[in-house]
Amino acid sequence: LEFFVISVLNGVVHGLLLFMVSAGLTLIFGMMGVLNFAHAWFYMIGAYIGFTCTRTIGFWPGLIGAPIIVGTCGVLIERYMLRRVHKFGHAHELLLTFGLAFIIEEMIKLFYGDFPVSYAMPDYMKFAAFTLYGTNYPFYRLFMGGVAISMFALLYLLLTRTRVGLIVRAATYRPSMVEALGHNLPIVHMGVFAVGAGLAGLAGAVAGAFFPTGPNMGVDFGTLVFVVVVVGGLGSLGGALIASLLIGLFTSFSVGFTWSLADLLGLVGLGDWAREVGGLLTLQPATIAASTPFLLMLLVLLIRPAGLLGDRQ
Amino acid sequence: VIVRRILPRQLVLIAAGLAILLVSPMVLSSSFVNAAIKMMIAALFALAFSLAMGQAGMLSFGHSAYYGLGAFAALHLMKAVEQHLLMWPTPLIPVVGAAAGLISGIVFGWFATQRSGVYFAMVTLALAELLFTLAPTWDSLFGGESGISTMRMPSWMFSFGNDRHVYYLTLAWVVLSTWCLWAFTRTPMGRLAIAMRENEHRVKFLGFNTHLTRTLVFAISAMFTGVAGALLAVANEATNYTIFSAQASASVVLQTFIGGAGTFFGPALGAAVMTFFARITSDLTRSWLLYQGLIFVFIMLFVPQGLGGLISMHARRSHVKAIRQLALPYLLCALSGLLITVGIVFVVESVYILLSDTYVAERHAAGGALVPYGLLGWKFDPLSPLTWSIPTVFLLAGSALLPLAKRRTEKVWNRALPDSAV
Repeated sequence: LEFFVISVLNGVVHGLLLFMVSAGLTLIFGMMGVLNFAHAWFYMIGAYIGFTCTRTIGFWPGLIGAPIIVGTCGVLIERYMLRRVHKFGHAHELLLTFGLAFIIEEMIKLFYGDFPVSYAMPDYMKFAAFTLYGTNYPFYRLFMGGVAISMFALLYLLLTRTRVGLIVRAATYRPSMVEALGHNLPIVHMGVFAVGAGLAGLAGAVAGAFFPTGPNMGVDFGTLVFVVVVVGGLGSLGGALIASLLIGLFTSFSVGFTWSLADLLGLVGLGDWAREVGGLLTLQPATIAASTPFLLMLLVLLIRPAGLLGDRQ
Repeated sequence: VIVRRILPRQLVLIAAGLAILLVSPMVLSSSFVNAAIKMMIAALFALAFSLAMGQAGMLSFGHSAYYGLGAFAALHLMKAVEQHLLMWPTPLIPVVGAAAGLISGIVFGWFATQRSGVYFAMVTLALAELLFTLAPTWDSLFGGESGISTMRMPSWMFSFGNDRHVYYLTLAWVVLSTWCLWAFTRTPMGRLAIAMRENEHRVKFLGFNTHLTRTLVFAISAMFTGVAGALLAVANEATNYTIFSAQASASVVLQTFIGGAGTFFGPALGAAVMTFFARITSDLTRSWLLYQGLIFVFIMLFVPQGLGGLISMHARRSHVKAIRQLALPYLLCALSGLLITVGIVFVVESVYILLSDTYVAERHAAGGALVPYGLLGWKFDPLSPLTWSIPTVFLLAGSALLPLAKRRTEKVWNRALPDSAV
């Protein structure tokens, strides 16, 4: 049971973090039809801004500064780059953000070097929130989860309870009608892009202090985020939330499993044969924890190609 | 892509290109022959990739999967031959790569082609990532983290110990594969792939099984990618799991679009040029990948049809008068581009030197003072405003020239090369 509770807690926190990044991505896609490939790289910029601020002025200014700076980057990219290639189609926009991701990663390497930096939370946050079965559970994990939940609540209220949210939701379904009613659609797009990028930046600043901050975090996190949006269904916030939690739980559970297919076959007397065959049969879920999200994605694609909450095309 | 008969002029060009490729290893030094092998492999990879992208409109971010599988299949075969487990002539090793690419392409393609557009791109990316995370833990198949290495065996009177033998082997396979890829675009299925790119719904309503067709086109693209991977394995005699990395998939996308995905030979051109530049500049600067990214974004923003598209636009309507009119605007473009490039390179290289460990050590030796740093044989003082005014002047001058150059070029284009407005 100890393993179960700890895994659930870790999985939920990891999932909420994934959701913070994928929420912006899926929001932008639902509205503008642009798949922002660079989104996870915005997350990386956020982490590095947090790192720089912690070194110079402090942890909290970094937490506030990261979403603002990354959001501003988002505005500039949307206004001066994406809008320019919009006429060439969505594939072109995807490729442009792909190139931007490439540039961001290389710029980070240029300024901070090829190796991970030691971005750490302030000392006064390094304490155990509670003790569970003799293990101290770090407070910072709860903090990350808290930030993600409050962000989700804020976003939800903003989208469903305010006039701005009303226009944003309307612009997703009937853009030309919204425009005809006198709303400035390009500004709405820019705003959504900025908020999405800012969320990724905030997530980076928060999570970078706990997980390693390095030039590879864009690729590593980026593929996970893409899996989340495919599993959840592109453009669906609820789907992204469910998929994030699912993937968070899946990875945290598979880390703890140390039995393999061979052991399973051993129950029916085929264990020795399986160990002889080797290969996939002797792989333990713990060693392939990094692959489980992708396997989950294949499973979802087989059963429900549109994603969990996606619309059928 | 419009199917036209090959013009005599194009035939002459192709023949000339082939002749140059045949003769060049006899004149070039060994390291250049090696570079040429890598360029041809990259070109084939890009051509195979653009069969899925350019023809069928399937943007794959995970083609390194089939590249890597082709390479590993070839290496396993080479290893078996080396241990005399079976007889297989070295020149035919890429056949296994093709088979590995085809089979994995059918399996993976069946999943990926369930969806189209951006979904497809992400699913292919995730599939390649699946292999990338799985490979280092799967010792028997992918040799763990260190990978597999082996030796080329002599066969058919060739020793294959010499780079030139490998060169001609690669050339033969690349030419054969290129011809196959080109011929495929003219088969009914190739036409169907283009039709699906333009309007999948309509093709479906015409009674075609689009999922099956997309899977097959994808598998054929993967098959030739596998050939490219196998050729790489033959040339390098070793590989490890990093061949599956997102970096490899990314570079083929970059190269294809720099070359121009809308033309048949554009991707090959882009791949060859970028591989060549990478070879030269990676010795000079560590920031090569940054420059490649900048070039890519620049092309996406300003020349969306790529280098190949630009060339074919001029080749279609080349007459002397138009060329003469274009000379001045192009000179302006080149000048402004050069100024901006110098400015950017100056800043990037300066930053790189100033943040490098050697410079930090120099500063330490000088008691923490910001000592001058050397760039291109000159000494610059990092604190003096004069140093930073150099790139500023270059960048400002280039940016000031840019709108003028653009306007002039567009004016002449509209006059001399109608129906080619960018």
